[in-house]
Parts: sequence; structure tokens; C-alpha cells
Amino acid sequence: MFKELDPILHSQLRLAVMSLLIAVKEAEFTFIREKTNSTAGNLSVQIQKLKDAGYVDVVKQFKDNYPLTTCKITQKGITAFEDYVKALQVYLQAGK
Amino acid sequence: MAEDKKLSEEESLQLITEMIHKVKGSFHESGTSAILWGSVIGFCGLFSFAQAQFNFTTGWFDIWLLTLIAIVPQIIISIRESRKRKVLTYEENAMNAIWMIFGISIFAVAFYNNVVPAVTENIFANDGIELLQKNKATGVVTAFHPFIFSVSSVYLILYAIPTLATGLVRKFKPMIIGGFLCYLVFIISCFTTYKYDMLLHSFAAISNWLIPGLILRNKFLKGEGC
Repeated sequence: MFKELDPILHSQLRLAVMSLLIAVKEAEFTFIREKTNSTAGNLSVQIQKLKDAGYVDVVKQFKDNYPLTTCKITQKGITAFEDYVKALQVYLQAGK
Repeated sequence: MAEDKKLSEEESLQLITEMIHKVKGSFHESGTSAILWGSVIGFCGLFSFAQAQFNFTTGWFDIWLLTLIAIVPQIIISIRESRKRKVLTYEENAMNAIWMIFGISIFAVAFYNNVVPAVTENIFANDGIELLQKNKATGVVTAFHPFIFSVSSVYLILYAIPTLATGLVRKFKPMIIGGFLCYLVFIISCFTTYKYDMLLHSFAAISNWLIPGLILRNKFLKGEGC
């Protein structure tokens, strides 16, 4: 029986954000925006959803009088991402 | 990128791979710190060699105090680079920890080198023992003040550790070569006097840090990573 893919992760932009954050210790909002090629508004909404799910930590501060948002994946996020990849592997193997 | 676009399993896997690959090329070492320390230690080593060779002094000012002064620009460089940095990778985080531990260890060895001889002499003195040395040729007996033998060799081992670790982790050949050269120089230093140890120090700093730093700087300015 197939395990259902996590709906929080199974969306293009949220999965892209999580894939970036799994590979780094922390990343600024602007870095994520550049790499995912998304708009600031769109990205903010998706990061908020990931934050609400407990998958990422978001720290907002000021640097040189400009707002600076830093994102970091949480342990819950790492576990969810690993489970998602395992489920993907099961789907792909079944499809062969 | 669409926020709620549903993906097929293949597309999901492709996206994960693509994003992880994008992170890999996002860190560029500027080489500024390597250039700074390569220059400072290289200069101090050469200067100490010249002092021993031509027998001159700089009075109370020990040229190696420049390494303490160099901490100031290092702090400025670190703050500037951390301000510019948009992402902190696990690799970079680990490298920062290694170099910080290296810095602490260097000062720990300097402390050991400056404190242990006097403490040893005091311990002997408290037990009523005076250390003496005898010149076999003249028969003259004088007081012997303990010192750490070939302490320069210990510094050379320390120089090699973070350099080689960085070179291997980043797959950066100039630092791998520099690290191995440093071990070679360490072996040579076990057989040489203080004067030539200083020359070896200078050589190690230039090959370990200054040359790799200049290569990194060149790559950084061209927008390439190491």
C-alpha cells in the first residue's frame, strides 16, 4: 500500500524551499528567492505554511536598517523531508 | 515557480536534485583571510630568520606580536564576509569551527611555550634543585634555564591540520599540497636550529596560505568557487 505523499511538501515551491534548506545550515530569504526564481509575496506565503507546519524556523531581524529574514529547517522538517523522499522512492520503484 | 503546482513523482525528484545542486555552487571563498595570515606569518618568519642571521634586535618589540595585531583586520574581514553572506552551508560552518579551534590552539601552544619553562624552573627550585649546564670544552658551569625544545615544529604541525582539512573537504589542490608540504617542513624542522626553523615557518605560511589565498582570490574575482 502506498503511503500518501505529505501535502505540505508535495507542492513545487514548498518542495524547492525544503530541498534548499535541507542542504544548508541557514539561508536568507533573498537567497531562497533567487534560487527558486519566485516572487517575494508568493515565497512569503509558502514559507509561512512551512513554518505553520513546524518544518522551518524563521528569524526576522534588521541588518543595516533593512529587514533580514533567515530560514532554517527544523528537526521535524528534516524527518518530514526524509519520509517524503522514501515515499517517492516507493512510488518510483512501483512504477518501474 | 508556481506555489501550488502539483508534481509527479519524477518531477519531485528532479526538483530536489536541482535545488541541492544549486546550493553547491553558492559558496565562494574570497581568500582574504588566507592572504592576511600567509603574509603576516611569512613576514614574521623571514624577519626572525634575518634577525638570527644578521644579529640585530627590535628592542622590546617581538616581531611575532604582529600576529596579535593581525587579529584586528581578521575580525573586520570576518564581520564583512558574514554580512555579505546570504547562506551558511554545513561545510562552511564546519570549516569555520576548524579554523577557530586552530586559532585557539595556536594561542594555547604560545601560552604553553611561555609559561612551562618558568614553571618547571620554579618546581625544581621549590624542591631545592638548581639546573646547571657544563661547557665540556671550558669546564665552565652555568645555570640552565629550561625551554621547550623545537617548539617551532609543534606550530608547523598545527599549521598543517586545518590547511589539509580545508583542502580535502573543499577539494582544493593548492591547500592539499600546502598541507602536505607543511608536514614535510615539520620533519625537516626537527633537525634544524631556531634560525632555520624561522625560515621554514615562513615557507610553510607562504605555501599553506599565501599562495592558495591568492589563487582563491583570483577565482573569487572571476566568480568561480573552489
